[in-house]
Amino acid sequence: MIKLFSLRTMTTQMRLRGGSQDVDYASSSQVRIQLSTRDNDISLPENPGPLLVNTSNVIESSFLERLLTFVLDLRRYALSTLVNHLLKTEKPIPFEFLINGTFLRTTLDEYLTSRGISSEATVPLEYVRAAIPPGYKTSFMHDNWVCSVDVLSETSPAAKWVGNARIGFKQERVISGDYDGILRVWDMKGDVLAVSRTVREGGPVSALKSVKFISPTQIATCGMDGVIRLWKYTEDVEDLTASLSPQIELYGQRRVIESIAVHQPSSRILSASGDHSVGVWSTNASEAPAPPEELLPSHRGNKRQKVQHSITPQRGPLALLESHTAQVADTIFAPNDHTVAYSVSWDHSLKTWDLPTSTCVDTRSTTAVLFATVSMPDLNLVAVGGTAGHITLIDPRDSATTVSAMTLRGHKNFIFSLATDPDSAYRLVSGSADGTCRVWDVRSSTTDKNGKVGASVECLQRESGKREAQVFGVCWDKDVGILSASEDKFVQINGGTIVEARIPRGH
Amino acid sequence: MAPESASKKRKAVTRDSPESEEVALSDGGDDFEVALLNGIQVQSGDEIDGDSSDLLEDEEESGEELDSDEVPSDGEDDVRELVKENGFSREPTPEEELNGEGPGANYHITKDANGNLRYVYNEIDPVYDSDDSDAPATTNTIGNIPLSFYDSYPHIGYDINGKKIPRPAKGEALDALLDSIEVPKGWTGLTDPATGKPLELSQQELEVLKRIQMNEVPEEGYDPYPDMVEYFTSKTETMPLSAAPEPKRRFVPSKHETKRVMKIVRAIREGRILPYKPPPEEEEEDLDVKRYDIWANEAPRPDNPTNIPAPKLPPPGYEESYHPPPEYLPDKDEKKVWEEADEEDRDKEFLPTNHDSLRKVPGYARFIKEKFERCLDLYLAPRVRRSKLNIDPESLLPKLPSPEELRPFPTMCATKFLGHEGRVRSLAVAPSGHWLASGGDDGTVRVWELTTGHQVWSVRLEKGEAVNVVRWRPGTEAIVLAAATGEDVYLMSPRIADLNKEVAAKSREIVDAGWGFAANGAKSNTKKEPAAQWVRPGSRLEGDGVLAKFGLRKTVKVISWHRRGEYFATVSPQGQTSAVAIHTLSKHLTQLPFRKLKGLAQSAQFHPSKPIFFVATQRMIRSYDLSKQELLKIIQPGARWISSFDVHPGGDNLIVGSYDKRLLWHDLELSVRPYKTLRYHKKAIRAVKFHQGGLPLFADASDDGSLQIFHGKVVEDMMENASIVPLKVLRGHQVKKELGVLDLDWHPREPWCVSAGADGTCRLWT
Repeated sequence: MIKLFSLRTMTTQMRLRGGSQDVDYASSSQVRIQLSTRDNDISLPENPGPLLVNTSNVIESSFLERLLTFVLDLRRYALSTLVNHLLKTEKPIPFEFLINGTFLRTTLDEYLTSRGISSEATVPLEYVRAAIPPGYKTSFMHDNWVCSVDVLSETSPAAKWVGNARIGFKQERVISGDYDGILRVWDMKGDVLAVSRTVREGGPVSALKSVKFISPTQIATCGMDGVIRLWKYTEDVEDLTASLSPQIELYGQRRVIESIAVHQPSSRILSASGDHSVGVWSTNASEAPAPPEELLPSHRGNKRQKVQHSITPQRGPLALLESHTAQVADTIFAPNDHTVAYSVSWDHSLKTWDLPTSTCVDTRSTTAVLFATVSMPDLNLVAVGGTAGHITLIDPRDSATTVSAMTLRGHKNFIFSLATDPDSAYRLVSGSADGTCRVWDVRSSTTDKNGKVGASVECLQRESGKREAQVFGVCWDKDVGILSASEDKFVQINGGTIVEARIPRGH
Repeated sequence: MAPESASKKRKAVTRDSPESEEVALSDGGDDFEVALLNGIQVQSGDEIDGDSSDLLEDEEESGEELDSDEVPSDGEDDVRELVKENGFSREPTPEEELNGEGPGANYHITKDANGNLRYVYNEIDPVYDSDDSDAPATTNTIGNIPLSFYDSYPHIGYDINGKKIPRPAKGEALDALLDSIEVPKGWTGLTDPATGKPLELSQQELEVLKRIQMNEVPEEGYDPYPDMVEYFTSKTETMPLSAAPEPKRRFVPSKHETKRVMKIVRAIREGRILPYKPPPEEEEEDLDVKRYDIWANEAPRPDNPTNIPAPKLPPPGYEESYHPPPEYLPDKDEKKVWEEADEEDRDKEFLPTNHDSLRKVPGYARFIKEKFERCLDLYLAPRVRRSKLNIDPESLLPKLPSPEELRPFPTMCATKFLGHEGRVRSLAVAPSGHWLASGGDDGTVRVWELTTGHQVWSVRLEKGEAVNVVRWRPGTEAIVLAAATGEDVYLMSPRIADLNKEVAAKSREIVDAGWGFAANGAKSNTKKEPAAQWVRPGSRLEGDGVLAKFGLRKTVKVISWHRRGEYFATVSPQGQTSAVAIHTLSKHLTQLPFRKLKGLAQSAQFHPSKPIFFVATQRMIRSYDLSKQELLKIIQPGARWISSFDVHPGGDNLIVGSYDKRLLWHDLELSVRPYKTLRYHKKAIRAVKFHQGGLPLFADASDDGSLQIFHGKVVEDMMENASIVPLKVLRGHQVKKELGVLDLDWHPREPWCVSAGADGTCRLWT
């Protein structure tokens, strides 16, 4: 996996055996680089054999000869080409290179000079798949602040769970919930396919705090009214119409539901509520118990409500997990194990739940109110963000000794939501009240007195131009990109998927 | 006197008093001076005292001695002449007495044979004084008569045997005799002891003698003044012998000398050589050496060489006199200085005063005082000498912990709540910590989501008057908000997204519970007109969630809930007797507990745990016991106009904000006066609040557009005072028409603060 060989940099004296003439470059600096990667699929072949010989031997292909003859400064591109050559990929994959936790943005020589690293030392070069900076694609305009967004694409969890879903190119769907309590379904052209008014038309607003695709035909929403609603979403391919119809209403939480998490295979829903509890729900109407009477709107409600509610089945929670001492802000399923859940709360803690037994397994306390959490399964870390303005990576396992494994600093205000990169286990995006979304790479880090600290690799501004428009929700899809819902009434899409092994887009 | 002064002068010169007399005698020059002075004074005819005559006699004797030495100085001669004159001037006096008809004359007069008068002298009584045998022998027997009397006689007197003393031979006769004797040249009249022949001197020897006699060199032909032989010419040659140029060292300062000077200078700098004799260091009080006051208990004792009497105190001087000489009397300035000086700083204890006579001297003015003080000394204790403290005042202050150690506290603006038109007059964070209610000049009450700043509910109250105050009912089981606009107070359950059926129902139930009571109460108590009539607010407001309203007589400015949410108090400062009203929610009952209240009521609050009610008027805060219905305490912050106050959740401390820019911390256990006054704002303080969720924080909001966050820790220990540390100034609100931040509130748990600004915004500070 790790190759050690000698490479002469741009000022290296290179002897190219390409023809009759020998080319000498009057220089002497030469550096040994150690290439490594954490991705198994792009790791170098095991046998280093010919790669360990002199540089001139290594660079024997005519392409590389040309490359190193003319591209004298060994930037990312040249190194990427080199790695591609070593990997013998049919189509070149663009790579980025990390040296000691920072991305190589200059020539290798400049890097070494600026850091004062001796050219005799072996430079550890970690190569990762290059990500195109998530450029602005489009925005979907709403009538009110948008607080949540989700996406359905071929690679999204909802589609994967179903398995046989075929979602074609440009057939992805975006759903958004805003402070008016309206759920909208968008296509990628920016047209609203279906709108769901609140249950009571024209009634008081009930902001949709979280919207989630359970399956391509089922959507779950929750909001300030403390009710989780499941919607049936149907699309008529013929006349390009779509409809949303309420399926089930889940009652049981006594306050605002800040967030829900869905898991289709086990038909479970988790809800984080302001009444200090985490609710466990079932999407099956037959499985779920009856709702508590006192919470139903018909209870002491007026006639109109009664009429409305006679249509939709109402169900109660499977369990309410009560251990938090303040309102719960976010909850997620552990990605690898749907019987484990994590929840973060205003009581500054991250709790790990065992769902079958409805018990709190572990509590990790931080210093500030937490608003969002996301799990990074490959690293065994859980990222949490909140009022502190930085993201803390917490190892929730029992073996972990410290609360914070790493801190990602850069936001100037609350962090409202987090999402992971569907393609990289090391990247995540955060939406903050300071009006930016930041993309983080856990591999890029430095160590200071407070432990490991990372800085963001990308900072996405709001294209609407509104200053400090708080970003309430982010979602990262492989196909669609980074979607962010914000105070500026837009869902903004930044297309930043990892470039497939197609034609390398020049750097 | 004069000799004394002279001897003083000598003392001044020599500083050697015991030997001064000897010196006076042995030193000729000084003697002369003394004698001269004596002589002058004698001649001037003044009285002569014994001392001086003794001195004179001494002088005379020394004069005689000098005479015998035959080397008298001119000065001495003068002295002797003067002395002799003295002597002559004195002697005639007894002679005159002798010649006179004094009865004690020692002769009698008889007639001799010729019938002439004859003086017959008495036999001389040979007393000691009459013996003059040691006087020099007289060479003349003729007595004290001039020789000229015998000019005509061949003799010049008679000897004791009566024979004539022939006149001595005259020069002529001698010359004649000498001429008759021929003396050979060189005759000496001496006999040569070697040869026995008469000694004759040769011509050569005579000349040598002659030269010796003339004080000349005896050798013949010696020239003591030979002509000078000029070996080197004194004239400057035009062409010098050496053409060498004048060496540089002749006109350049000498290096060698510089070196030597520098050596000395260096030595002086280094202190090896002292350029002057250092003044003798004053002997420091050596504590090791024990000193005894041997005269402490001095008792009179007979004179004894072993007994050293105590040194005498200096005798009183002229200035202590009742009638001092004018030069000792202070002039006006000195008098003034003395009078103005501190009693301890005066150099003299008294002021010299002139009295014409002793009987005009008044009694001692300070007598009684001094006696009293003395008695006081004896009675109490020796008074300690006042010593000025030389301590840096800063070092006495206790060290404040640094704000960094006192985290968490709000530091930055996290959320802005935009939407109000005009000033936001009041705001409150809901007990759940999730919602923020605000009311402003636009007559609306709005509810916001605290973290995001989204407005979730809004209602425009009747009349469109400014909403002066909004307050949530404590307790999370129901959401009830009280708001006051004008004279009306509204109770509402904000339909926060029409959520929480249970909560909404509970809220409605709580407010609606009193309708029946109100009706019953009105029936049973028909005589008394109720202070306020609780009514339903009308269908429009009811649809928005407003549940009840009632009107008071004057504009309501303050609402304060009891901790259980059963009672709340309203304050309308202009209402005289109805300024403070306490309302019972469950009975819809309004009471006016203070029929008479001194001053304009400003604010009121319930004690957090005890049945105590605080009412602030402009200058005082009174606390009343609600169960006993009596006045407990009057707290006097000393502010001119109290704007607001808040009770610490512990109940023993109070902060008061005033329009005269002061923030006052009261410890109720300690005093009715402020424990600490904080004066940091430039403008009036509008609101003060304690953090109610257990964090030791409090804040104030001021018209200068800033909030200040303080750390105020109350320690359970009664012995320790609260520690107050200013933490942070939060700026951000704009000042509009002299108004800055009008209200503030704390989050019930987190260290978050919300503020309502005159600029129409609310801000969340985290």
